[in-house]
Amino acid sequence: MSVYQVKDGVKNLIKPGEKLITTHCCYCGMQCGMHIRVNEKSGKVVGVEPRYDWPVTNGKMCPKGVTAYQTIDHKERIKTPLIKKNGQFVEATWKEALDLIEENYKRLQREHGKDALSVFGGVSMTNEKCYLVGKYARAVLGTRYIDYNGRFCMSSAAGGFMKTFGIDRGSTLPWPELEHTDCFFMAGTNTAECHPTSIQWLWKAKDKGAKLIVADPREVPTARVADVHLDLKPGTDSALANGMMHLLIKEGYVDEAYVAERCNNYEELKDSVRKYTPKYTSEITGVAEEKIIKAAHIFGQSPKSVVMFARGVEQQTKGVDNVALYSSMALLRGQVGKFASGVATFTGQGNGQGGREHGQKADALPGYRKINDPEAVKYISGVWGINPSEMPKEGVSAYEMFDEIQRGKIRAMHVICSNPAVSAPNTEYIWDGFKKLDFMVVSDFFLSETAEFADVVLPATSWAEDEGTTTNLEGRVIRIRKVVEPIGESKPDWEIFKMIAERMGKGHLFPYNNAREIFEEFRIASKGGKADYYGITWERIEKEDGVFWPCPSEDHPGTPTMFKEKFGTPDGKANLAVVKWQEPGEIPTPEYPHILTTGRVVFHYLSGSQTRRVDFLMEQCPLPYVEMHPELASQYNLLNGDKVKLTTKRSHMELEVRLTKAIRKDTIFVPYHWGKELAVNQLTNPALDPTSRMPEFKVCSVKIEKI
Amino acid sequence: MNKIMYLEFERCIGCRACQAACRECGDHDAKERNYVEYVDFMESRQTYPMLCMQCKEPACARVCPANAIQITEEGVVLSAMEEKCIGCRNCTFGCPFGIPKFDFEENKMYKCDMCYDRTKHDIAPMCASVCPSEAIRFIDFDEMQALRRRRTQMNLVEGKKPKEGNKWEYVPEFFGVYSD
Repeated sequence: MSVYQVKDGVKNLIKPGEKLITTHCCYCGMQCGMHIRVNEKSGKVVGVEPRYDWPVTNGKMCPKGVTAYQTIDHKERIKTPLIKKNGQFVEATWKEALDLIEENYKRLQREHGKDALSVFGGVSMTNEKCYLVGKYARAVLGTRYIDYNGRFCMSSAAGGFMKTFGIDRGSTLPWPELEHTDCFFMAGTNTAECHPTSIQWLWKAKDKGAKLIVADPREVPTARVADVHLDLKPGTDSALANGMMHLLIKEGYVDEAYVAERCNNYEELKDSVRKYTPKYTSEITGVAEEKIIKAAHIFGQSPKSVVMFARGVEQQTKGVDNVALYSSMALLRGQVGKFASGVATFTGQGNGQGGREHGQKADALPGYRKINDPEAVKYISGVWGINPSEMPKEGVSAYEMFDEIQRGKIRAMHVICSNPAVSAPNTEYIWDGFKKLDFMVVSDFFLSETAEFADVVLPATSWAEDEGTTTNLEGRVIRIRKVVEPIGESKPDWEIFKMIAERMGKGHLFPYNNAREIFEEFRIASKGGKADYYGITWERIEKEDGVFWPCPSEDHPGTPTMFKEKFGTPDGKANLAVVKWQEPGEIPTPEYPHILTTGRVVFHYLSGSQTRRVDFLMEQCPLPYVEMHPELASQYNLLNGDKVKLTTKRSHMELEVRLTKAIRKDTIFVPYHWGKELAVNQLTNPALDPTSRMPEFKVCSVKIEKI
Repeated sequence: MNKIMYLEFERCIGCRACQAACRECGDHDAKERNYVEYVDFMESRQTYPMLCMQCKEPACARVCPANAIQITEEGVVLSAMEEKCIGCRNCTFGCPFGIPKFDFEENKMYKCDMCYDRTKHDIAPMCASVCPSEAIRFIDFDEMQALRRRRTQMNLVEGKKPKEGNKWEYVPEFFGVYSD
């Protein structure tokens, strides 16, 4: 007999001998609510059930979410520490692995100083772990070199929001409100594939008559049903945004009262966008004039609109400008800080929001404090129990750490829950960097392409074997629950940090017995910072379906809608972006005549380290391919399924052609989820945005040859 | 069973969460019984979900020489009964939608049975539960009627009219699967 659990009139199936554990998906920033089915006798995970009562996703899951549980007890999980001997990994005990780490770390520190060590973090981890990574690098290892893979994912959005709004919270509104939005302007976001469960809100709004404008070089599934598809050339977003604002001002769609009261730079903006007429904008972007005009009319006439964007606009050398300009579009219409309207970015990684607030960035301390602010250093040193003089200075960004390896400054690296061997641009340079290191440690739960370079691999637990909190793409802090006991000898990251801290003589800084104690310390560390979590408790998260930061005290309700009264800037006013369009880092030349852009497919997540191990997902999309317009293909005499060699200034690779008219004729697309010779990031341009230090994954010049 | 399956093709985003979820249902042995197809990938990214239509006069059952395909009192067309199925695969050829598949290892036919173990208790099948775009829904008959009416009105407002020659541009956006 099965048991049926009823909540809000919706039933879940619970089979005899099983229990459901409520948690969230491990993948993207949607952090979909789900129940994991666990066999009560064996304690093993056996499946998944929808969780209808989670207000953000209502039981919806994408194929990655449905199969996420299959990675927990996967046969390829690393179950013991591994040590490389004669080029081969051999199983080792924790003691052997820690002995080796201690010996090498101490030797390198002695010989080359503390900055010889470095830490490369990730944001697919809980807030607690992200917080500890910063503390581990700075307080235990004493190194300035710490950064994280959010540099490849979210930092331009962060930079743009900081510039415009003064606070970087990825969404200014809670997402269930999107159902009531009248107009969506979505730029550089393949939402249907990258954040599928958000589509329900878009479709629900469309059912009520909402308009949809999509700006993307490809006719992504959302563009297919858009009222206007602005099929712009990659790297021209800032021209498009300026062109849109030109028309908003010219046609009288600006909320003058709102702008006068709440924004700076309006006069400068007017001057700056004057020359971005539809004709000029069209020349730069390649989008037909009438489409730009139609989009401006729809956007300008909608009472409640949201501007949403993702990596397409952010992973550019002008990513911060793009974000600031698109955000300014919403400001001109007076849309930020109101119901069902505002600005939002789609967070790529599970905890892309929380992970960037807690001090994993080279220049940041917990609570979004700046490491070059003496007050911040003093406060955090106090929380950690170290002397402010011991706090290392600002380091360098993720990609730039590899420059420091080449210069011989960084001699050792601890990579935590990240796979830069696949996800960094110009990967051959990254691989070379790993080979140059004297000593390399990786904590992960699969042997990723990065882990293969390591001297020691430490078996970390998966998301289902530890508890903690994450912050989803709305800015809602949620609970991740422990579903099963750690597999094999794997240990939660916080225990690993604690063990290394003890070996380095800093055990007293890591007195934790569980994740909750870390959260309690982190609350205090974030107190008074821009990302203030102090008022959030695990009980409140439970009771209130998550709590939105900032939440400065326990009696504070949290902040679902940002900037209702004022912005996070010193004068409380938003800064409209006054920025001219500039060319991307690389433009087509006779030798490299086309544009290459990269992105995701719905079946894989980031570097694919997890999803490439799930049968269903691999069956759907086993290999990368190059998407191309038939007219471009005909220039090279290419048919569907033919093989081509793609060459950029960095490297070359071979791929199969997939023809579709749903892409610009001058642009080709390759998904990036594979490693080694299948990694498209061998080809991508490592040119960095000057503020966010994010590489330009989305645009580079490429040569096509038939083979 | 008080509810019906309702498909709205235009909403499909091609994520195949329904297929992944189908593998999780009942005793499906990690084999999906529903499918997602591209209309024409060369032209657009339009996809559509395909599951058993639960026909009133199901061709699969009518062509089964062994009478192995049972229909429940609610009208749900089940997979072939193991003890009766003779492995002739008539059902796989007979179905106009290509739904029944043949498992050569197990020597038996399998098809979407609308997750009868769930739906008989009005619990949504996994495919409909998880579908992120609500292209597949498990809803009341009245709700389906209301959705159809609203969609027709919206199409009129938006001036969408299927024309000869571009039927796939406006694929049938919805149809209910009746079980009464």
